[in-house]
Amino acid sequence: MHFVTGGAFNGKRKWVKNNYVMDQTLWLTAYAADALTKPSDAVIPSTVVLEGLERWIQTQIDSALVSDTLRQNVMNRIEPWLAWEEADSYRQLVIIGTDMSKGIVPVDQQDRLWRDITGWIYQDLVKRSERADVIWYGVEQTIKTSEKGR
Amino acid sequence: MEKGKLIFVTGGVRSGKSSYAESMAVAWSKQLASNLHYVACGVPSDQEMTERIARHQESRENALVSWETWECPYHLQDLANHFSKQDILLLDCVTTLLNNYLFACRIEKPEQALDYILTDIASLQEAAAGLIVVSNEVTQGILDEESLTKNYQYILGNVHQKIVEHADAAYLIENGIPIRKKGAMACKGL
Repeated sequence: MHFVTGGAFNGKRKWVKNNYVMDQTLWLTAYAADALTKPSDAVIPSTVVLEGLERWIQTQIDSALVSDTLRQNVMNRIEPWLAWEEADSYRQLVIIGTDMSKGIVPVDQQDRLWRDITGWIYQDLVKRSERADVIWYGVEQTIKTSEKGR
Repeated sequence: MEKGKLIFVTGGVRSGKSSYAESMAVAWSKQLASNLHYVACGVPSDQEMTERIARHQESRENALVSWETWECPYHLQDLANHFSKQDILLLDCVTTLLNNYLFACRIEKPEQALDYILTDIASLQEAAAGLIVVSNEVTQGILDEESLTKNYQYILGNVHQKIVEHADAAYLIENGIPIRKKGAMACKGL
């Protein structure tokens, strides 16, 4: 899995489009209200891009639950994608999530929770990734590379 | 005519980006034996802004080199014919310029503001030997659905992408330390 992050409007989508062959790709975007969970019966091409992870995480926030549970629940919903990728060496999963960790503390409690869960999920994903990049106005900084599947 | 070099310097609030850009401009102008110009877009709209402007002016007055200051809130391309290949320009900063387009000129279409800013920068770069552009990091906070903020971040993010694409070098300043993101500036004394 390749995790791509960076601030809003920094050219993350464009960068991914320039770095992957796009004709064999399933592109799911939470910005167009796509669910980012893995469809169970669909035929899935070899490359899958999940865009707007932070928006999708926002829809998963239930403030009645404690943050550890929320974090676990979100990861559980991403697991099927990681398993799908793992099952075949030709498969590539790319996840794009906007960094929203460097502003002032949000006034709204729900927003604080959203921001916290998002930050933790990004840490979890970078740990599980074989590559991670931060995009800064179109320029990538590769913060992690390792053998696929490790 | 050959286009001047373009350097992009950005960072968070009080990151030391202006000081870094000023030192770079000074070192660069010494190296090229050229003149230093400061393009100031800030408008003293209230007391806070007046004080901020005064602080920047004082720091340039105390400098060992002499700066010529050009106060211009927008349409900086009109300044371009004052400059030549003997000049190093410092533009501080893009966010102020964007504010002026949005709130003084009341530009409503994001693409129009984007176009004005990029035209301003291109004209200054064209005229001078070198242009250093300073801006601010504002796209890494929690995503704001409020249209004014989102619109602002959209324009600024896209302006930055274009500047970085065309820049000879780009730096992100963190706590006074420059992090080189693209290219390099070979300047003695930096």
